[in-house]
Amino acid sequence: MENSTQESHLRSENSATYDSPFPLYAMAFSSTPPTPNHHRRVALGSFIEDYNNRVDVVSFDEETLTLKPNPSLSFDHPYPPTKLMFHPNPAASLRRASATDLLASSGDFLRLYEVRDSSIEPLSVLNNSKTSEFCAPLTSFDWNEVEPRRIGTSSIDTTCTIWDVERGVVETQLIAHDKEVHDIAWGEAGVFASVSADGSVRIFDLRDKEHSTIIYESPQPDTPLLRLAWNKQDLRYMATILMDSNKVVILDIRSPTMPVAELERHRGSVNAIAWAPLSCRHICSGGDDAQALIWELPTVAGPNGIDPMSMYSAGSEINQLQWSAAQPEWIAIAFSNKMQLLKV
Amino acid sequence: MATGQENLLDAVVVPQEHQNLRKQLALAVKGIQWSYAIFWSISSRQPGVLEWGDGYYNGDIKTRKTTQAVEFDADHLGLQRTEQLRELYDSLSTAETNPQARRPSAALSPEDLTDAEWLPGRTLANNKTIWLHNAHYADSKVFTRSLLAKTLVCFPCLGGVVELGISELVLEDPKVIQHMKASFLDIPYQMRTSKCFSEAARIEKDFVCPKLDQDIMEYSLDPVVECEDVNLHSPNDGSNGFELKLEEPIMFEGASQVQSWQFNDDECSNCVQTSMSSSDCISQAALSPEKDVPVIPSEPKENNSCLVDLQECSHTTLASFDSRKNDIHYQSVLSTLFKTSHPLVIGPGFQNSNNVSCFISWKKGGMSGRQIAKRGTPQRLLKKVLFEVAQMHGKSLLKSREAYERLEKLSRPEPDDLETYHVLSERRRREKINDRFSVLGSLVPSAGKVPISQFFTLSFKSEDIILMKFLAVFVQVDKVSLLDGTIEYLKELEGRVKKLESSKEGGEMEVRTQRKPHDVAERTSDNYGNDKIGNSKKPLVNKRKACDIDETEAETNQVLTKDDSLTDDLTVSVIDRNVLVEIRCPWKEGLLLEIMDATSKLHLDSHSVQTSSVDGILSLTIRAKVWTFSTDFLLPGYT
Repeated sequence: MENSTQESHLRSENSATYDSPFPLYAMAFSSTPPTPNHHRRVALGSFIEDYNNRVDVVSFDEETLTLKPNPSLSFDHPYPPTKLMFHPNPAASLRRASATDLLASSGDFLRLYEVRDSSIEPLSVLNNSKTSEFCAPLTSFDWNEVEPRRIGTSSIDTTCTIWDVERGVVETQLIAHDKEVHDIAWGEAGVFASVSADGSVRIFDLRDKEHSTIIYESPQPDTPLLRLAWNKQDLRYMATILMDSNKVVILDIRSPTMPVAELERHRGSVNAIAWAPLSCRHICSGGDDAQALIWELPTVAGPNGIDPMSMYSAGSEINQLQWSAAQPEWIAIAFSNKMQLLKV
Repeated sequence: MATGQENLLDAVVVPQEHQNLRKQLALAVKGIQWSYAIFWSISSRQPGVLEWGDGYYNGDIKTRKTTQAVEFDADHLGLQRTEQLRELYDSLSTAETNPQARRPSAALSPEDLTDAEWLPGRTLANNKTIWLHNAHYADSKVFTRSLLAKTLVCFPCLGGVVELGISELVLEDPKVIQHMKASFLDIPYQMRTSKCFSEAARIEKDFVCPKLDQDIMEYSLDPVVECEDVNLHSPNDGSNGFELKLEEPIMFEGASQVQSWQFNDDECSNCVQTSMSSSDCISQAALSPEKDVPVIPSEPKENNSCLVDLQECSHTTLASFDSRKNDIHYQSVLSTLFKTSHPLVIGPGFQNSNNVSCFISWKKGGMSGRQIAKRGTPQRLLKKVLFEVAQMHGKSLLKSREAYERLEKLSRPEPDDLETYHVLSERRRREKINDRFSVLGSLVPSAGKVPISQFFTLSFKSEDIILMKFLAVFVQVDKVSLLDGTIEYLKELEGRVKKLESSKEGGEMEVRTQRKPHDVAERTSDNYGNDKIGNSKKPLVNKRKACDIDETEAETNQVLTKDDSLTDDLTVSVIDRNVLVEIRCPWKEGLLLEIMDATSKLHLDSHSVQTSSVDGILSLTIRAKVWTFSTDFLLPGYT
């Protein structure tokens, strides 16, 4: 692996690195504020093209800037998890003791785990098929922050399923697209958006399940859209990435079909995007060019496109990027078998 | 919703911080037995604005030892003025970031503000302690806190300014500040005291003038030099007073100092009072320390304590000398990024030595200039996650489709189930669409056939793409090409219509003459088709046809009656498609042959012919089926 020049003069005070024995893909920050007893938790999912995969919950000590694995907070996962996410608002779920945290993973099923102080217990396996043991594989999911009993999953069978995880039942299942659904993101309590291999971004309102609104379609017919991020600070904006493209497409839901901006400074395809948790104008993207770029969306775009504000060079392709509201001053990236926390 | 989140954050994060701050202030104020303490922090929302951080009132409202008094005082009584102040600060900060908008347009110009109000700001700007006597002489309307305090002290601390007030006249006392700082911060300040004190400018209210401000500015412009100077001069003891100290450093600092000042002046060349403009850019940049400022963990050594102080005041050096606007901009961005977090997160958080961002400013072409080699599949892992993990899950994708189909089929009988309702209706809609597409495909010639090369260019480059994906792409391509074909076909048809219309103008007569045979031919083919296909519409059409035929028969009969003279007896009856012809006529040689010839010309498929001749009269009965109609039918009988 190539070491970037930047890494060499990086001081250890503004970053923390975790070396996993496995390649990493899925990654999630816990929303539970750290206490003297336990530090901030970060869940990491391995990516091994085999049945046996691991999810490790490591703790991040902000004082010493170290990431420590916790052998008791680790479990097997059948095949790699396509996404991991902690309960977005643990304070809101009253029936849980404060010491526990909920972690969800997607893959063959939507699975819920209870993360305790020194153990992780599987809580439930949610299968949206009533008649079969089998449920179409899930590409991603999103936990509704406003209505934390809701989780929406996206599947290769063209559907999105909305779960009531507290009752463990399907609230609704919608055929969302003409092809595989690749990602899903909540906007409000009952509004979500999804992207698909059919190249469209669609918004759904659970109050009117008959209709969806297409707000973007990729320019060449059928360039699949891979990921979607909804700006939680300003719900008018969302961002998506295309297959084999170095673009981050910024959409304004008020002007469908025409993206408000296309961020094209990556020198490789983009793999992950995350909006700044506390700012409506900033977004971070990571790509095959091993760079993480922070962009500031200008009020008026210049003629030569938009330049990123700042950049970070990692050792290799950045596969995952998280910018959590729980720790807005840290951006987490995953490349090869490393997870790195970067001071913004 | 966004505000909801902010509120949430406020509710969760801020109180903790505030509690601490307030406690610290309370402890500090009680410790020195002054009336009140206010912490002005640099606003994270509006860089360059000092905003209310927290306060504690320790004063004479005997029954209520509460923070309310001060908060009310500062926040509400002075609200209007604060607003104006803020506006001014704002315009100053915009002037800084945006060179075009240099002229501040606020209601207050800097000169209008009383010195008392500038105190916290100036303290921050100069990064030194200001001791103000006789504050109560200030206009109480303008400076509300003058009601409370005769003596005011402001000193920079924690990236903000701490303001202390007491209702008595107190002479300058370094111990007070030392105590405050010590209780307010956890950093040892042994050497600090003398330094702070030596820096402390005792300002009589009436004494202040812009010139002095400038001097102060110059004095503080280069903290590195300054600190050294201070160390040198600390034996002199700052209690000598202000004027003396002020002169000395300036002389020591010499030309470079002046130069840098000039530079700063150029940069902030708006007509704003210099002290403020620089304080503005300082506070704006205060959030993130420069890389070149040495950051050394605080140790209780003499030299270091100076550096600690330097670190704390490093924002003075900062961007005010940094011509790179980007960086200044970046600082303000940072403050936006953390807009909802407590100011202290930015202030001390950035002083915690882990204050440098991992990110560097982006430059065109990148810092490394490293070429990104073409490495196999782009988005390799992401694609694997999205496309292949699905396959890994034990059963194949095809099975999943089957399972899905099964699920649908099984849930079909229970349409009352709300969640499946949408699934079903959506499914039906798509089935309908597909139906219509196939109808369209059957109507349009040669549509729906996709060249295989096109199919492959649209499919994925990676070889491990599953069959279903190919099929899905194929179906989609099929639809597109079908629509393309339809469009082409419609265009062609339109062209033909135009052609026909133009030819119609040329030869209307011709068209008219062609009309009838055309009609008939059409009818004929219709009939023929119906006969063959035998669909449900057939009876109706046939009836109509039968009718037509009856009419024709009537016509024929008419014709025949006209020809009565020629023939002895001829009846023709047509029922449905069966024709019965009875002829009685005198026999002659070759007549039968002639008749059969005629019937075949009439396209009558005779299946039985009975003849008998009695007394030279031939009786002929032909049963035949019509297999096509033509005008010839109207020309019967050679006989």
